[in-house]
Order: sequence, then C-alpha cells, then structure tokens
Amino acid sequence: MAIPADPDGTLNEVTDGILHVGVTASGEWVELRPGGDPQGVEPALVQDFAKTLDAEIEWVQGSERELAEGLKLGELDLAVGGFADDTPWVTDAGMTLPYAETTDQRGNTIKHVMLTPLGENAFLLNLERFLLEQEVAP
Amino acid sequence: MSSTVRFGHTELPEEQQDALRKAVKFEWITLGFLAVGTFLVFLVLGNSQAMKAAWIEDLLSFLPPISFLIATRIIRRRPTRNHPYGFHRAVGIAHLVAAVALLVMGGFLIVDSGLGLVTAEHPTIGAVQLFGETFWLGWLMIVAMVLTGVPPVYLGIVKMKLAKTLHDKVLYADADMNKADWMTALAAIVGVLGIGLGLWWADAAAALVISFSILRDGIKNLRAAVGGLVDTRARTYDDSEADPIGARIDGYLSELDWVFEARSRVRDEGHVFHVESFVVPKKWARPTMKRLEAARIECIDMDWKVQDMVIIPVAELPEEFLPGVSSSGGERA
Repeated sequence: MAIPADPDGTLNEVTDGILHVGVTASGEWVELRPGGDPQGVEPALVQDFAKTLDAEIEWVQGSERELAEGLKLGELDLAVGGFADDTPWVTDAGMTLPYAETTDQRGNTIKHVMLTPLGENAFLLNLERFLLEQEVAP
Repeated sequence: MSSTVRFGHTELPEEQQDALRKAVKFEWITLGFLAVGTFLVFLVLGNSQAMKAAWIEDLLSFLPPISFLIATRIIRRRPTRNHPYGFHRAVGIAHLVAAVALLVMGGFLIVDSGLGLVTAEHPTIGAVQLFGETFWLGWLMIVAMVLTGVPPVYLGIVKMKLAKTLHDKVLYADADMNKADWMTALAAIVGVLGIGLGLWWADAAAALVISFSILRDGIKNLRAAVGGLVDTRARTYDDSEADPIGARIDGYLSELDWVFEARSRVRDEGHVFHVESFVVPKKWARPTMKRLEAARIECIDMDWKVQDMVIIPVAELPEEFLPGVSSSGGERA
C-alpha cells in the first residue's frame, strides 16, 4: 500500500480514466475559446499531466465559486484559473505547492497553484511531483 | 555558594538549595528545548489537526516553566510589613494561571477537533521540497514529532525528583506534563499515519485524544492550584496524601511530659507550611515560656518546610479551628 493514499480514490479513478478539470478564465494562464479546448499555460500543463496518467480530460467551465463547489462535492478532480497560494478557497479545496512565481503590476509576488479535492493526498502528491519538475513561464 | 538561598525568611537547607539550582537550570533547558521544538513543529504543521493540537500543547508547555522561574524569584523576597506572610502564594497564582490556560485550550481543541470529525473534513497534506527532494510532508511531521516527543520525558523524570525535594507543585505539574508528552507525540504520529493510509478521520480522532489529555491536565492542575489557594490541609508534593509533617508534629507535642493533647492545622503556602499547633497542658503542668520555645524549636528542626509556626496553649482544643477533632473532653490527667 502506497502512502499517502486517497480516501476517495481519485488517483486510481483518473489513471486510465477521465480527469475532470474545472477551468475559469485568467489572462494568459487560462484562455477560454468558444467551441474549443481551453488554452494557456495551465491547460497545457494539465494536458501534459493527464498524459502521464493516460487520462482523458473533461473540461468544465465555471466561476471560481462553482469550481470550488465542484471540488468539494467530488465532481471535479482538479481546478485551474490563475489561482495563487493566498486563494480564499482553501476551506473547500486542497492546494498544490506553488509551481511558478510571477510579479503583478503592483510589484506583488504571485505564487501560482492548482486546486485539488480536499484530502486526496496521493493524487495531490502525484500532481505536485509533476508540476515541480516543469519549467513554467508565462 | 556564599549567599544563602531563601524562600521568604526560610533558609533553604543544602539539599534544597541544590535542588533549586538544578530545577532552575532544567527549566531553562526546557524553555530552550521548547523554543526549538515549537519552531520545528510550526514549520511542518500543514493541515493536520492532530499536529495543530500537539503544537498548541507544546506552546502551553511554556507556561509552567515560566511560572516556576518567575515564582522562584518572587518568593525569595523576605516578608515585609505589608506582606507579613511573605510572597509564597506567588507559586499558587502561577499554578492557577497555567491551569486555566490548559483548561481553556483543551476545551477549545475538543470543540475544534470534534467539529472536524462531525463535518468530515478531509485533511490535505501534500508535498514538501527539501534539499532538492520532493516528498510527502507527512513523513517530516512524523520526524518532527519523534524529535520533540522523546527529550521531554527525560526532562520530566529529572524535574519530578526535584519537585519532590523542593515540595514544588508547579514543578511537579510541569514534570508530569513533560513525562506524558511522548503520548501526545505518538497520538500525532498515529493521526498523520492515518491520513497517509487514507483514513481521513484518524487525524481528527488523534487530535481529540490530545485535546482530552490537555483538558485533563488543566482540570488536575486547577484542582491542585485552587486547593492550595483555599488553604486545603497541606498535602504531599504530588497531592497523593496528607503531608506527614502534621501528624509528626502532633505526635511530638503530645509526647511532651507537660502536654495533655495537641493538634495542629497545617496549610501549604507554596513551598513552606504555616503551622498552628494548639496544645492543652496537663492539669498541674505549666506551659512556661521556656517549654513553649523549646517545643517550637524542636518542631522547626523537623523539616525545612516548617518555619512559620506558632504554638498556642489552650484550655481545650478549639473545635471551630480544628474541624473533625472530637475533643476528648475527659478529665485532664
């Protein structure tokens, strides 16, 4: 048995299965196109990550609130949308380690993270290992 | 050391001076260890409720050593005109403060952890990067708990012995908490391992166990502290039984050839006792100044804790001051 394990088995389910990814538009990080898959830095990362698990991606669009709700209810496995490590959604969702840093117009450092379901630690650790190996630049 | 260490006007015997010096040293060691330990645990706190509870317990562990160090300074002052009994009660106040902190925090953590269990919060613990390696933060939590859980047991055992020598209840409570610290660490480790195995509830359950141990410490200490402040009959340093000194004094005084019967009431001021001994002289014997003085000196020499002592010659034992005394009422021999 691998430690950590997922209480709800997310990693097992998405491997060779379907990865439900929630997206919300956020500048160059997530660009939504009518009739096409989301583009941008984060969708590209998610696509590469899905490949490592042989998973098909099902994109779901929504507001940040809807994505947080989806993660909480177990309808989503992952959410991207320019989230930073000071995101207020941490009571509803788990958060990866920051995998990229940028600076906004006011000179504040933004540490970029992705959101996962609460407590699905095997899936989270797997995603983090993947993200930390990437060279991410917007 | 040339300067004599005293508690109020009580000069400490060699053995107690030595124990006090050691106790102060070990409390400083405890504070140093706690500072390092709480910082270390803070770094790996993560989202584990059990780790949070263990960390708060570590933070609360600062209180008894600080109370002890402050109190041992204050009680060295000699009695003054405004404080004729000295400052011994400083120990009781320190004890009470530490007890209330434990009680409140224990109660808060029980509610906090219980809510986590009821609302089925799944604790999220992800990766950590250290020395270029990426691994699960849970392993680091377990290492931190092992590192901070073992040394207090040693400190507790050492301080327990000193608490007995010094008749110090704050030191005793502190040592008792330190000795039980490994159980907190173990509970936190079980909680984190539980998360690792996918048992989300293990963490909150472990946190509840730790919270109850904090609450129990609080209740135990509160009972002892309040007991001291409301002048409970003096008990041994661990509150397990009545201190034998009362019976020894009564025994000695009753055996004197001029005494018919004698009873004392003894209260614990923190380290030293206040003793009031009521003696009923035999019918034809006189309680002369000389006899009273000699008896008092003999009693004070019995134990370093007995210093503030008065002997009161009475016609019969005053029941209102000595509850439970069934005055023999018989004819005085």
